[in-house]
Amino acid sequence: MLPSITILSLLALATFSIPCLSQTTKHDFYVCAAVNKNYVIGSKIVTTSGLHRSDDAGDWQHVGINDPSIFAVSFDPRNRDVFYTAALNGALRTLDGGKSWRIMTSWDITEPKDICVDPHAPDTVYLAHPGGVAVSKDQGKTWLRLEKGLPERGKYTQTIEADRVRKGRVLAGCETGIYLTQNGARSWRRVLQTKETVNDIQQSPHNPETWVAVTQSSGAWASQDNGQSWIPFPDVPSEAALYNITFDPTDPKRLAIGSYTYGVLTSEDKGETWTTRNEGLPDPHRVWRIGVHTDTGRLLASVYQNALFVSDDFGRTWSKEGLEGSAINSFVFLPKERK
Amino acid sequence: MKSNFITSLLALFLFAQIVNAQPSYEAAHPSLDVIEDPIQRRAEYMARVNEVIEWRADIVKNGLAEKMDLASVSANLRLGRNIDECSARVIEMMQTPGSGPFWMLPSVCAAFSGKDLLSQEARDAIRESWRTTYQLRGDTENHFAMYYTMLYLMSEMYPNEPGDTWYTGKSSEENLAESRDYLIDWMDLTTTIGQGEFNPTHYIGEYAIPMLYLVSWAEDPEMQMRGKMTLDWLFAGLAANTLNGVLRGPNSRTDDSSVIERWNSLTSFFSWINFGNCPPTKGFSWGNYYGVVAENYEMPEVIYRIATDRDGSFEQRDLKRSRHQWRYSDVGKAPIYKTTYITDDYGVGSYQGGMADPIQTHVWDVTWKTPDPRGLHPTMFSAHPYSAPKGMQAYFNVRPDTMVTAVAAEGKPSYDVADKLVGCSPYEQVFQDLDTIVALYDIPKGTRFEQVNGFFSKDLKNLSEDKSGWIFAQGGDAYLAYFPLAPYHWEAHMRYSRLPSTGNGYRYERIDSGSQVLISPHVKNGTILQAAATSEFANFEAFKKAIRALPLEFTLEPTPNVKMRSLRGKDISFEYGSAPKVDGKAIDYSKWKLFEGPYLNAEKGSRKLEITHGRLKRTLDFNTISISDSVIP
Repeated sequence: MLPSITILSLLALATFSIPCLSQTTKHDFYVCAAVNKNYVIGSKIVTTSGLHRSDDAGDWQHVGINDPSIFAVSFDPRNRDVFYTAALNGALRTLDGGKSWRIMTSWDITEPKDICVDPHAPDTVYLAHPGGVAVSKDQGKTWLRLEKGLPERGKYTQTIEADRVRKGRVLAGCETGIYLTQNGARSWRRVLQTKETVNDIQQSPHNPETWVAVTQSSGAWASQDNGQSWIPFPDVPSEAALYNITFDPTDPKRLAIGSYTYGVLTSEDKGETWTTRNEGLPDPHRVWRIGVHTDTGRLLASVYQNALFVSDDFGRTWSKEGLEGSAINSFVFLPKERK
Repeated sequence: MKSNFITSLLALFLFAQIVNAQPSYEAAHPSLDVIEDPIQRRAEYMARVNEVIEWRADIVKNGLAEKMDLASVSANLRLGRNIDECSARVIEMMQTPGSGPFWMLPSVCAAFSGKDLLSQEARDAIRESWRTTYQLRGDTENHFAMYYTMLYLMSEMYPNEPGDTWYTGKSSEENLAESRDYLIDWMDLTTTIGQGEFNPTHYIGEYAIPMLYLVSWAEDPEMQMRGKMTLDWLFAGLAANTLNGVLRGPNSRTDDSSVIERWNSLTSFFSWINFGNCPPTKGFSWGNYYGVVAENYEMPEVIYRIATDRDGSFEQRDLKRSRHQWRYSDVGKAPIYKTTYITDDYGVGSYQGGMADPIQTHVWDVTWKTPDPRGLHPTMFSAHPYSAPKGMQAYFNVRPDTMVTAVAAEGKPSYDVADKLVGCSPYEQVFQDLDTIVALYDIPKGTRFEQVNGFFSKDLKNLSEDKSGWIFAQGGDAYLAYFPLAPYHWEAHMRYSRLPSTGNGYRYERIDSGSQVLISPHVKNGTILQAAATSEFANFEAFKKAIRALPLEFTLEPTPNVKMRSLRGKDISFEYGSAPKVDGKAIDYSKWKLFEGPYLNAEKGSRKLEITHGRLKRTLDFNTISISDSVIP
């Protein structure tokens, strides 16, 4: 059974990020954060890393496993106690809100970077990993390598996003470009060729036909036709890697890009022009992840192994908001549960 | 994420400072006599095993029971001593477990060593830590080998337990099946297309110790047998690549110290304990975890003799494989063609160049025999100091901007340093014929570090720069001739000395080692090296005269190209980007076997290794999981 329109709408909002704050917010705010500096395999983990949720007081509460390698989390829209993470050991799943976990993949899938529950068929989970794309149709119990149409070499996959409106459509950001499936990963075709890895793909919360993407060395791109064709954003530099891109769910004209080299780039005219917004961020402004709070439009920037910074004027000024020493891999917002 | 190996070494080094004398480390170099009597051979092996265990256990006798680590706990348990102290210490340590294979291995060692000795509370503490503490699998082949062997053994020790009692969330049977599948797949790769982390100076322990644990503790007879066969496979490779116990030739992984002081690596521990033909390293390092159950391995005579009982020079050619390349490459596991030529006096080894691993690889060298290898730098080689974020990204699933800095902070300080000596390069191609090396470099303009570095040891004698362009020197009983194809200058070799941590990664200072580095700041470049035994010539001048007389032509534009006659009378022609030729015939690497030489032979894809010495022959057959020994008529 398909989820209701209400749930789909809420899920759409849930793909974007915003920080904690107060009891007035409508969404719970989660981050996947590594808090260990210079962690090496075998070290004792002396800090708390992994999934954190901001409570009503704005304090971060750790959820689940203390794992510095969690890159992404995706929730089952039917039951928020069911969610999946992409981490060093593979895809993990909890059925009880993080109290207990299971590594769902085996030895042959390692270090996935992104994971996405299909909003139209939540038993289906898409996994972006270095070997390509894996799909589970049974809540992660078994996995299939559904890669027809992906190249034998060049299918390293960094990011994967399911279309929240059209069933069976998924976009994967790979080493050689963006690949689109319209049949639930039974086959893929390349819709954008890039020289190096596509680092992030996002669907607009305002217009589901609009998608944006950023890459390691090919700049930033937009599609206005459901990901079928792509045009580059003008003014966005491409000499160094762009890590991620986000819409502002509260303002359809606003976009932001995070980059270790360039820091924060923002646009307030739907990507026509871009401005660097690093004043007030630590120097060097090594932005690991950028996000926008779904409820408030507050701009969020994780500065690598430094802290979370926030801006209430879309990057013109910044202030530190905690999570000292962290590198945040993703921001996630979920509608608050009714109590 | 990089391994915590150096942390472990440091901890063991510090441990070594607080306990008693280490006899074999401090003693004179051991005898190189071949022990013919198998009973005496085994007795001496067991004496070395016992030295390790006793030394490690003695921390309690020294009044430092509260400082025991899991190696010293295991050593005491092995000896049946201080059981109460061991139990107390285990309970204490299990309150703050580690987070990956470098913790899993020691905890398994203690769990099995104390299976019938530790208190129930202590055993429960270990078991509970495997439920509560999430273990990270790591990202390298040695991490996986340790992770899955340890998970296999623990799951076998505690069968029929549900997923909620394991950090994986999987039941004992599921853990066991997954671990077994991985280990068999890894053995299959190794026995068909070659070892990944081949000839490592330190990481041999990360494979040998897990395999010994399978031999010692696996209940499944097939996995026991697989462990034993893989140990034989590893040690046969060690035997054929050592001279007087010291590892020779290229390394998939090494470090800034071991690439220079060739003896100072964990392989020397394994040569010492197995063959008794070199001193062990200080504190036995990670070998303490091997020593605890080393009695469970019986060194086959045929392997022992390959290491210790040579009859002249030999060339061994092996097929290996690169670290897996996830992206930016047409191939995932690239073939590595490795050559080792070892005489009574020196060894010359190489692989054909290119990237075997983005960090810590060593491509070629000549190393010479010394009466005692401790503290010496008996080696000569050149390398391009390649450093590139995209090069890292091919093998590591990381963003481009942090990895270069991170590896330096994680114990590989030279990665992004111009005068580094460890590492391979996509712009280096190497050809070896017996004791002749031709290394060519075609480094694109704009590449970070447009130079080639050559290492010249403080232990060389009679170093001279000849008008002919050759640089002559003598190392031990080897004469050496090094020809740089482009101009150069000399710089002091600055070794890395570890400083106390300030809590934010490793720190080092650099100290003049007394050796020198030849810096050749030219992108079209190359090195020719010719080695010979001093016994082949009346004197050093005669060697120089012979070298000067060798026909040699080279050009650097448009690509480096060498035509020469070797000291062994071979006409070698080698142009960067083309197959090298010997006496007009191009080398066909596609016909390279898995092993080919007087001691080790295997066909590619065969899963079957024949180990021979004289009339002795042992066959390891992974198709039938069997070992057969025979005496050739």
